[in-house]
Amino acid sequence: MIIEQAKNVLTIEAQSILGLIERIGPEFEKAVETILKAKGRVILTGMGKSGLVARKISATLNSTGTSSLFLHPAEAIHGDLGMATPDDVILAISSSGHTSEINRILPILKNMGAKIILFTGGLDSPMADISNIVIDVGVEREACPLGLAPTASTTAALAMGDALAVVLLNQRRFNKDDFRRFHPGGSLGERLAFKVKEVMLTDDHIPTVPLGSKVGQAIEEINEKKIGATLITGKDQRLEGIISDGDLRRALINKENIYEMKVEEIMSLSPRTIDEDETSAEALGLMELHAITHLVVVDEQRRVKGVLHLHDLLGREGFIPNAAINSATRTHS
Amino acid sequence: MQLLTAPRGLIVDIITPFTKGGAIDGPGLRKLLNRVSPHAQAVFLASPHTGEGKSLHTEHRVELLEQAIPAMAQYPIPILVWVTQDNEADSRRTTIALKGVIEKRGYMGDLFWVDTPLYYHSNRGLPDLYKALCSVVGKPYILHNDPEFINGLTRPLKRNNIRTAVLKELISLKEITGLIFSGSLDRAHNYHKACRRRPNFRIYDGEELHFLDHPSTSGVVSLGANLAPKAWEKIIQSSLDLSAHKKDYPDHLRQIWELGDYLRDMRDIYLQAPTPILKETLSDMGIIETPICTSQFEDTRESKARLKELMIRFGDYGRRESVTSQSD
Repeated sequence: MIIEQAKNVLTIEAQSILGLIERIGPEFEKAVETILKAKGRVILTGMGKSGLVARKISATLNSTGTSSLFLHPAEAIHGDLGMATPDDVILAISSSGHTSEINRILPILKNMGAKIILFTGGLDSPMADISNIVIDVGVEREACPLGLAPTASTTAALAMGDALAVVLLNQRRFNKDDFRRFHPGGSLGERLAFKVKEVMLTDDHIPTVPLGSKVGQAIEEINEKKIGATLITGKDQRLEGIISDGDLRRALINKENIYEMKVEEIMSLSPRTIDEDETSAEALGLMELHAITHLVVVDEQRRVKGVLHLHDLLGREGFIPNAAINSATRTHS
Repeated sequence: MQLLTAPRGLIVDIITPFTKGGAIDGPGLRKLLNRVSPHAQAVFLASPHTGEGKSLHTEHRVELLEQAIPAMAQYPIPILVWVTQDNEADSRRTTIALKGVIEKRGYMGDLFWVDTPLYYHSNRGLPDLYKALCSVVGKPYILHNDPEFINGLTRPLKRNNIRTAVLKELISLKEITGLIFSGSLDRAHNYHKACRRRPNFRIYDGEELHFLDHPSTSGVVSLGANLAPKAWEKIIQSSLDLSAHKKDYPDHLRQIWELGDYLRDMRDIYLQAPTPILKETLSDMGIIETPICTSQFEDTRESKARLKELMIRFGDYGRRESVTSQSD
């Protein structure tokens, strides 16, 4: 009985979403175009459970590149309407289309010049009449008995909100960099929010050999520090070049007995650098742009302050930022 | 023909009251209609189960509608009448006779014919049948699909449900505005899918328990509303208009929960023999003249006593309440 009831609920909720598929049409396209053209933000509004759904859709829009905020309909008539501008698009959610608090604010917002998109099952409701775009999220039945709580209808509205957010994301060609910008709290985003100086390798962890050293010495340094490269420094730790695993491979192919050669004979002369106060996101962008895995952190006089490997940005197991451990020992595997 | 949108909400499956002489109890019917109509979105006359429609010949149904019209003229809600007879010709004849009543009485209210097509016709050719019917009967149809009812026929058809593909064809006729549905949840989903291109097409729960468990957004056909129309009204409002109850807070949910339990308990009691138990209770309440039914039923005294006790507890049982709500 319990399993049967649970299955019934899930079936009803699943059907509520499947039922939306056939109804996606020109109105949805108009909604997307309206939001894309808008100079302002998308302001979500809804009461009760629909309000909670509106909050979630607002959060999803913000995460995916569409500036959005939530306006509580009851607070709106006590002053919060001031947050809306004629450039904004209002996205109202009401299962029945008869929610009195929303009915009170929509005419004001429309008079202001804001475009109104409505998610509702009440296609012939007053709210639908006043809205510019009406998206049908009606369901055939609710899963919860006696109307104690909206269930299938809120699921449908939530799913339609996700559809809108994802389509907007694709239309805006929202990319990985944008994602980083909008996800500072996420696992990857959290790392990328750190300053370079907080994640770079410093002091003894920097693989470095002085100018004039033999390549064999550089190989030992690369082997010991295990980041696939060593810096070549001159006077006052100024950066002169870098030898990476790739440089070594190329030298082995073209030259004999590289162990006895001087590092300056095979090093790359212009390693990519970054300032220690830049963000990790910026560092990752540079690595992607130049298809490299290392950045050297230098000061204004090109003195080496640290080195950054791609793995430090994407996260090693047990990664703890420098800010927390203040240059404590780290072992890279 | 003026096309109507089928109502949404509570459709009361009205019992058919009889006098001792076997005629339609007009005053009783009107008292009952006056009692339930303020709380309903439609009333359903001569329904196959509660309304004993299977036993009502054309003349009975004509008389029933004639007696109902004076009461219903004062309420802005539609009347649904079951027009099905044993065969296609009789069903058509009944519908035309009922149409004559409306014309004779000058009834201006909304009215829908309810038909159970599989009672007398197979799935094959149904769309053509309705094309022909719609051109002569002058009012829109609501179809009735009830597999158990069809299974009970002495000469059951191969299929006891309207085929989904057939329904899809049927709803292309604008005169077919809704469907009273009994059956499995899966079939309900398929029917809804078939009807999506008609946004105002209604699919009502033909079984109260279905609606109480997982309310459809069109509404329900309720027999219990003969006894407890206010309670059903509240449940309907709660289920179909989810945002309109703020005034009832903070105990809205508790109220609805208790009412839901009440209606379930009530249903459990009258399920044994719905029509006689409802009639006996309404008769005891002084609303209808007699509890006479068209067929004999087993002893229902115990159920009636339990029902009375339950209704008293919820304030739905009282001769005074029933008398003051009469307008005739």
